[in-house]
Amino acid sequence: MLKIENLHVEVGDKLLLKGVDLEIGEGEIHALFGPNASGKSSLVMSIIGHPNYRVVEGKIIFKGVDVTEKPTYERVRMGLGVVFQNPPKIQGVKLGELIKRISKSKERWVEVLRLLDRLNIDSGLLERHINSGFSGGEVKRCEIAQVLAMDPDLVILDEPDSGVDVENLELIGRELSESLRGKSALIITHHGYILRYLKPTKAHVMFKGSIICDGDPKVIFDRIMSDGYRWCERCSLMRRD
Amino acid sequence: MQLDEERLRKALRKPAAYGADLDLDEFRLEPGGRVEISEDVAGAGVEVGVDFGKKDRLTTFFQVDHEVLYRAVQRQFQGAVELLTIDEALEKHDWAREYFWRLKSPYEDKYTALNALHGKGGYFLRILEGKKVHVPIQTCFLTYSRDLIQNVHNVIIAEPGSEAYIITGCTAHKEAAKGLHIGVTEIYVKESAKLNYTMIHKWGPGFHVRPRTGILIEENAELTYNYVALGSVGSFQSQPSARITGRGGTFSANNIVYLDGSSDMDLGGEAWIEAEGGRAELITNAVVAGRAKLVNRGRVVSEADETRGHISCRGLMLSDEAEVSAIPCLTSRKMKAELTHEAAIGKISEEQLFYLMSRGISREEAESLIVRGFLDTSSMKLPDHLEKSVKKIVDLAIKGF
Repeated sequence: MLKIENLHVEVGDKLLLKGVDLEIGEGEIHALFGPNASGKSSLVMSIIGHPNYRVVEGKIIFKGVDVTEKPTYERVRMGLGVVFQNPPKIQGVKLGELIKRISKSKERWVEVLRLLDRLNIDSGLLERHINSGFSGGEVKRCEIAQVLAMDPDLVILDEPDSGVDVENLELIGRELSESLRGKSALIITHHGYILRYLKPTKAHVMFKGSIICDGDPKVIFDRIMSDGYRWCERCSLMRRD
Repeated sequence: MQLDEERLRKALRKPAAYGADLDLDEFRLEPGGRVEISEDVAGAGVEVGVDFGKKDRLTTFFQVDHEVLYRAVQRQFQGAVELLTIDEALEKHDWAREYFWRLKSPYEDKYTALNALHGKGGYFLRILEGKKVHVPIQTCFLTYSRDLIQNVHNVIIAEPGSEAYIITGCTAHKEAAKGLHIGVTEIYVKESAKLNYTMIHKWGPGFHVRPRTGILIEENAELTYNYVALGSVGSFQSQPSARITGRGGTFSANNIVYLDGSSDMDLGGEAWIEAEGGRAELITNAVVAGRAKLVNRGRVVSEADETRGHISCRGLMLSDEAEVSAIPCLTSRKMKAELTHEAAIGKISEEQLFYLMSRGISREEAESLIVRGFLDTSSMKLPDHLEKSVKKIVDLAIKGF
């Protein structure tokens, strides 16, 4: 589904990704861990094609197509969806209007309504301007609703569990565990709360701009929780195989 | 009010405080000869929100040049709404005269003076006490003859406890490539009345516009004053001024502006809060393209306790040759008054564009969504169907964006 080869990415003149390799197969869910500023969000921005993230070396291959130079909306139309960590407010554009616009087809509208219902997005929220005055939980629920409404094949979730209370986490977790079935996904999580609901098959650790280890999500996460990323630093000396 | 003709003649030489100064001799007071009005005038009305079609079950006033072409109060609202020409009003009601030139001085500048001396047409609209009219009352002023000064005076009285929506469209027919529209409007919102007054203006690059508006808001009365200006205008200058004289009176002005071409617009707004608990809000959202120039002035003066005033100006620049200035002014004469302002001018946010593109929307579509969103009509407090139609007019005007 997604294959990233030796990806080097610059923002301004700062090299943020220094040779990332990552492969996510069809129907696979992967987790990505890493300390703050290790490059996780930069990787997300590079995959989706943010214009400020300039690929200086390497390739992004999505569904067998080299999308490294493709504009964002084309990647998205090919079946890529990103749930952002801090999406912007857009005054004057109503959430409902956007969801209607991006839902793949009219036939899916019923399904999208069900999705909105499950995510507890009522008509009042749909009438509001995107992310304007939304609570933390509302932002996440609406991000997830938008992305799932597009019915993508690969979903990237950048910290879907940050800034979310227990009730919202449960709602989001349950929805994702259902909706991601059969899809490929990459989940970035700091606290791992979302892993109570989603069971990734593989995990990666990012450190200083590259992925330094892959392995069993539970083993890696438990180790990070007990020893912190200092452990990774020592471990990284051993290099990734 | 007795007008002093000598003073008026002197005032004819007085430029307005703001905006481009016009030479009135470049325009004509009369159309010159008989005007054959073409059938497509109704279509011009639709472009500014005035619908003469079969759905039209509304109270309507339609003036072309100096001639009141059509005036009708829908039967179900007879007894709730009185809609007269100025001459009819003065003839019918002894007291009507008191409502002329009370909220606006005829000596203010050359435009008010010209109106006082040579004004032609306009309407006298009264929503009778306690009557609630939720079907919009529509009025339309169309200039048809070239070089003409359309020079109208309107009086609106929302009597105590009444409620109404007024939508008024002003436009120039394509025949009138050059012209001047002067509109003096005096709006009285009496005790506990609620009035929503929406103006939609669409002119042309050779057209000049000088509205002169005075507003009086009494106790617990509310006026939502919406102004929508679309496209190009030669020059425009207006500074509607509201006095809140009754406790708890509310004035809320919303300007939605899309300017292009070489338009020169000086759009202001003033509120004088003279009574306790008064509220005033002056909001402008403007998209400025081409070589257009916009000056947005806002002024709130608070002279009573427990009052609140807010000025907001947001400008979206679509061109490096355009210019936007925001000039807010707050004056407080009471400790217990809370006055605030905010202004932001910039281009379309790349972050917002990227976000919409990450939802599979192309750059062009995303730009269009943001521009349309910027000209948000939801603050106009219109009933759904009216908001939809205003939104449609705005969308049409910014087509290509």
